Amino acid sequence: MQLLSIMRAALLVGGAMACSVHAQTSAPSEPIWRASSRLGYGPNPTLVADVSRIGGVRAWALQQVDAAYRASQQPAAIPAQFTRFHQPLTQIFPVFEEERKARKAGQEKLQKKEDGEPGAGNMETPVFSRDAAREAAAWRVTACSSPALENPLLARMTEFWFNHLNVFSGKGPVRPFVGHYELNVIRANALGKFEDLLLASAKHPAMLFYLDQAQSVADGSTGPLGQAHGLNENYARELMELHTLGVNGGYSQSDVRELARILTGWTVAPRQASGFRFAQQSHDTGDKRLLGTIFHNQGLKEGEDAIRMLARHPATAQRIANRLATFFVSDKPSPALIERLAGSFTASHGDMRVVMRTLIESDAFWQADQTLFKTPFDFACSALLALGGPHQRRDMALTLNFLNNAGQPVQGWQTPDGYKTDAATWLSPEALTRRADFAMTLAKQVPEPEFLNAFLSTATRQRIGQEPTPSRTGLMLASPDFMRK
Amino acid sequence: MHPSISIERRQLLRALGLAAGTALLPQAWAQSAGGLKSGRLIIVFLRGAYDGLSASVPYADPYYARLRPSTAIAAPDGSAATALKLDATFALHPALAPLMPLWRSGVLSFIPSAGSPDPTRSHFEAQNHWEIGTPGKSNAPRGWLNTLAEIGAGGGTAPIAIGVGEANPKILSGPAAVRLIPKGKSATQEGVLSNERTRQALLDLYAGSDSVSSAFRQGTDSRMSSAQELSQEMMASDNGAPSAAGLLLDAQHLGTLMRNDRRLRLGFLSAGGWDSHANQGAVTGALSQNLGKLGQALVQLRQDFSERGDVIMVASEFGRTAAENGTRGTDHGHGNTLWLIGNRINGGRWHGDWSGLSNGNLHEARDLPVHHDFRSVFCQVLRAGFDLNDRQLQDVFAGGTFDPRLAGLFRSG
Repeated sequence: MQLLSIMRAALLVGGAMACSVHAQTSAPSEPIWRASSRLGYGPNPTLVADVSRIGGVRAWALQQVDAAYRASQQPAAIPAQFTRFHQPLTQIFPVFEEERKARKAGQEKLQKKEDGEPGAGNMETPVFSRDAAREAAAWRVTACSSPALENPLLARMTEFWFNHLNVFSGKGPVRPFVGHYELNVIRANALGKFEDLLLASAKHPAMLFYLDQAQSVADGSTGPLGQAHGLNENYARELMELHTLGVNGGYSQSDVRELARILTGWTVAPRQASGFRFAQQSHDTGDKRLLGTIFHNQGLKEGEDAIRMLARHPATAQRIANRLATFFVSDKPSPALIERLAGSFTASHGDMRVVMRTLIESDAFWQADQTLFKTPFDFACSALLALGGPHQRRDMALTLNFLNNAGQPVQGWQTPDGYKTDAATWLSPEALTRRADFAMTLAKQVPEPEFLNAFLSTATRQRIGQEPTPSRTGLMLASPDFMRK
Repeated sequence: MHPSISIERRQLLRALGLAAGTALLPQAWAQSAGGLKSGRLIIVFLRGAYDGLSASVPYADPYYARLRPSTAIAAPDGSAATALKLDATFALHPALAPLMPLWRSGVLSFIPSAGSPDPTRSHFEAQNHWEIGTPGKSNAPRGWLNTLAEIGAGGGTAPIAIGVGEANPKILSGPAAVRLIPKGKSATQEGVLSNERTRQALLDLYAGSDSVSSAFRQGTDSRMSSAQELSQEMMASDNGAPSAAGLLLDAQHLGTLMRNDRRLRLGFLSAGGWDSHANQGAVTGALSQNLGKLGQALVQLRQDFSERGDVIMVASEFGRTAAENGTRGTDHGHGNTLWLIGNRINGGRWHGDWSGLSNGNLHEARDLPVHHDFRSVFCQVLRAGFDLNDRQLQDVFAGGTFDPRLAGLFRSG
């Protein structure tokens, strides 16, 4: 009876149902599909061989945690065609500042042209920032689909934390720094301590610009970046609402302002390797009261202490645990799982290797009824991965375009909450047909990836077998079996 | 409209559960057989909290310019560098100049101090509240436009609601069938479905009874028809005009699809990028550019939705601080301006209460107050414009109340 009504609801609108996204068949390959698709972006022949060599998928999964950590401590294996996005900040900043001037001059010239003044014309459009952001997005797609270049779990954790500490590459001043942020803040700390990650994000130009912290100064002071003369509460609010405590985490509007006061003076440093500096003259030196704790004037340390305090708050452990369980296990994770992850987070002082081991060792992670529907990013990455990664420029252009239209452009979510990852958000009728477009176009003429057959249902394999060879690969990727993870 | 005072027992019981002192629906609204039989409602939602004080500019309020030293829109002097005078209290941002003809012809109106009574300043919480239709409620299996779609469908299975641009907006989610068109030009193409053999293979693969399969089959039907309708439209109208993008393109798609399928009577669009914490600009600048795009899209929508029963509404999750912050922007606030366009809207004037910007009249001494609960505004529209009866209104907006100060929102007759 209940099942019937679920099916009826699901029939009427795709997307309403979080669960029952796919009729489950528990083939022996299911745990490998599940683990590789969630801790990475799917299986490939090397991975299948690794699992059997290591002696089981659980052992393999646990090994990934240390492997991903080790990889995070090494520079990423970025292909040579990417030349911009991973440059040091001291090289990005001057170009960024030139572009800013050029854009301003261009706007003035354009205005003169509109006003009919002679001698006015179009300026060349500044392109470094745009190209750097494109490269950064292309690298993310490469990383998620090329296990030989990037450890799959590290790519996954990078996605998770980038989304949790989201910045938007469409915002002008953020754009040239997005790739640097992704590599040096997110990837480098993806399996480390949460508070180190949080502090690194707080001090990076991408975040300082994105949530306007770079301009927020003590009321009445003159900021380091020009005419600003007071507080901007944007970063302080999202730091508590999204990065740490959560919206019901027990803070008030007064706490938002007090935290903003504590952080006054945190801004960008164009000529320093870190890109960050603390501007004492912009700092509010009065006492502040944040969540009941008094903060006396201690300059930079005051903000660092506040951020660490927030990172260690029990509400933060709950929030991170909830997000991890939703991302890796189920749209509606059990309270028991969330408690277990939160406990692990607290006990380990936010050590993500410990928390990820707890997650992998939980029964819930392996239960067949804990289903997940792929997001567009999952889908695109897993399709590319099944075909051996992006081979041609066309593959990359196709993928980035698909993600734009699907509503999940890489590093392109405007607001600081990050993308949702549940079926209620992504399972919708016309969007599914566009996945089929992408799959069929990407896989045109590509030989069948034989290893994938082990993960498809008998019915799917038989039906695809009736089609001419050139369309078989595309149909495998467009099949319902391929939509779940 | 002749008010009658027939309260059904069920509604009375419901009503008793509500806070005291609220004027309840049945006391002021007549019963009807049930509504949404005619007319079309288009909702444009501005995500990120747009700055209503820059759109409907309270230029005559002496506090306005004082609170906003660098972001105030200059009081109207008749030139394009200042706000455009609407009446003795408000003026329009010059980037919204294309809307002036609608104001003059009396079909454009606004409520300058509307919003959600919930005090949250979280975008995401507040958006959930608006989309679910219940202040304070962030989780629910359906959005209010989906409930309304079920009422309007009257037992039919064909979708009557359509959303363009977002993957799966909360406001439309729920058990009633809705149509969702992803953004971008690819909505105009059939893609691989145009190949009959491929299409059949895919339909066979998705023959199951699970939610993914049924969604795929539904998507195949709507994709084919969307693509055909939109591409014909594009060819017909593509006379070398610059190609539309963003909200304007979504608005064009919505107009075409709702014109071709008259069963569709509820439309949803959204636009982001309104969270202007820093350097929001004034007559020119970032916010001005966004308003310009909004104005264009609204003019487009007005072309497609100008029948007698059509209503276009523009809203945002909350407003922004009355005062400018330290970085020439504005932070998260509370009340905001909500816009309405329609032939039956009593336009060319604004509605509801306005208490100005003096500190004592601001919410928490910083934001516009919410004088009009968004549910009351929508209830007024759904009652006066779409003939929903009291029970239906309660189903769409549990706890929605009649707000007598909005009684003149629609022209009578």
